[in-house]
Amino acid sequence: MSIVELKDVCKTYPAFRLHDVSFSLESGKITGFIGRNGAGKTTTIKSMLNLIHTDGGEISYFGMPLSGHETEIKQRIGYSTGTVSWYPRKTIRQIVDVTRTFYRSWDEDAYRKYMTLFGLDESKKPMELSEGMKVKFNLLLALSHRAEVLILDEPTSGLDPFSRDELLGLFQTLREHGVTILFSTHITSDLERCADNIIYISQGEIRAECSKADFLKNYGNPGETLEEIFLRLEREAKS
Amino acid sequence: MNALLNKEMRLSASILSYLFIGFGLMTLLPGYPILCGVFFVTLGLFQSFQSAREANDIVFSALLPVAKHDVVKGKYQFSMLIELSAFLLMALITLLRMTVLADSSVYLQNALMNANPFFLGVALLIFGLFNAVFIGGFFKTAYNFGKPFVSYIIVCFLTICAAEALHHVPGLQALNAFGFDHFALQMLLLLGGALLYAALTWLSYKKACENFEKIDL
Repeated sequence: MSIVELKDVCKTYPAFRLHDVSFSLESGKITGFIGRNGAGKTTTIKSMLNLIHTDGGEISYFGMPLSGHETEIKQRIGYSTGTVSWYPRKTIRQIVDVTRTFYRSWDEDAYRKYMTLFGLDESKKPMELSEGMKVKFNLLLALSHRAEVLILDEPTSGLDPFSRDELLGLFQTLREHGVTILFSTHITSDLERCADNIIYISQGEIRAECSKADFLKNYGNPGETLEEIFLRLEREAKS
Repeated sequence: MNALLNKEMRLSASILSYLFIGFGLMTLLPGYPILCGVFFVTLGLFQSFQSAREANDIVFSALLPVAKHDVVKGKYQFSMLIELSAFLLMALITLLRMTVLADSSVYLQNALMNANPFFLGVALLIFGLFNAVFIGGFFKTAYNFGKPFVSYIIVCFLTICAAEALHHVPGLQALNAFGFDHFALQMLLLLGGALLYAALTWLSYKKACENFEKIDL
């Protein structure tokens, strides 16, 4: 069953165009969103979060259009990006104390559990955290309100191999609990391990949307990894 | 208190926004253009917009479970809270100058504007101009605050100069009334300032919401 649907979403910038992007996310699945830098992954994700004003198309969650149900939808989704630092001079405690007041389903037990799992200290400020710990803090905010859909933009960038491994395990656990995850990354080895489906975007257009097994079968040569297929497709598109 | 205003006060605001409310005390200064105190209060608010931009506050707020235009509402609510707190302080001091200090020679020999209801009306007008020119201008981009602030400074000081000069124009001496002289006229002018504040704030808020919806964050 589709829980998130994008239909003919487009956005034109002076030097880039997102062409009629359409795809859907299956409930309780991890979908890898791959594409090279500048392919349109972040623009698509920002459209899904109403951070940018699209030129056309429809976006819906849980059968409700984003336009007109933004508040209700945002209560039920979580977003994390690997690189942004929110309120660098406030403590984690101050940021969380305010953030929790916005969510009806804030889960204090989950928050405590992830604080321990990620090794975060409430008295620290984002400016005092390493890049990897900032990623974990952003994830903590996304995970602590029982989000049914997680939109993760490069969630493993900057993480050490052990933390990445832990995180991928966590995503698999969340999937078992029915959480739907859109996982945008260029680290395709992460998707080899945990993705059920693959969406491939290139030059602002969706080139493939299928299960990981079908992607490997339809686009790959025998023995090719996801990364090798991705690189070959990009080279072919360039030539 | 709603969650957005709470967020503005606890995460987005600069401490200077709170401290600069104290510039309302400038209403007590004899021989000084006391409307400058209003400008300093808005300078404190400007600091909050500056620190919020450094903290990625606008995007963080837009990701919270609120409608995108509610981000604008939060900024307006916080600004109005600071403005009206400063206004209350100025109103109390004005009342003090109109009653207990009405016969004080330092105020009687004041060539500049007296603290009276007309002064409070102009103070509200300047706060309204800050909301319209600065906050409204800021939400055209949600990151560029230099040009809107310079525009506001120009409009603000032209207003202060005009307000200071008006009572020297023959026939307009009543604008600089002492104590409760010309009280009905003075209160009418205060009401006019309040209406202008409400209109400027409301209209710029609606326009800012409209502009912000179109912005790519």
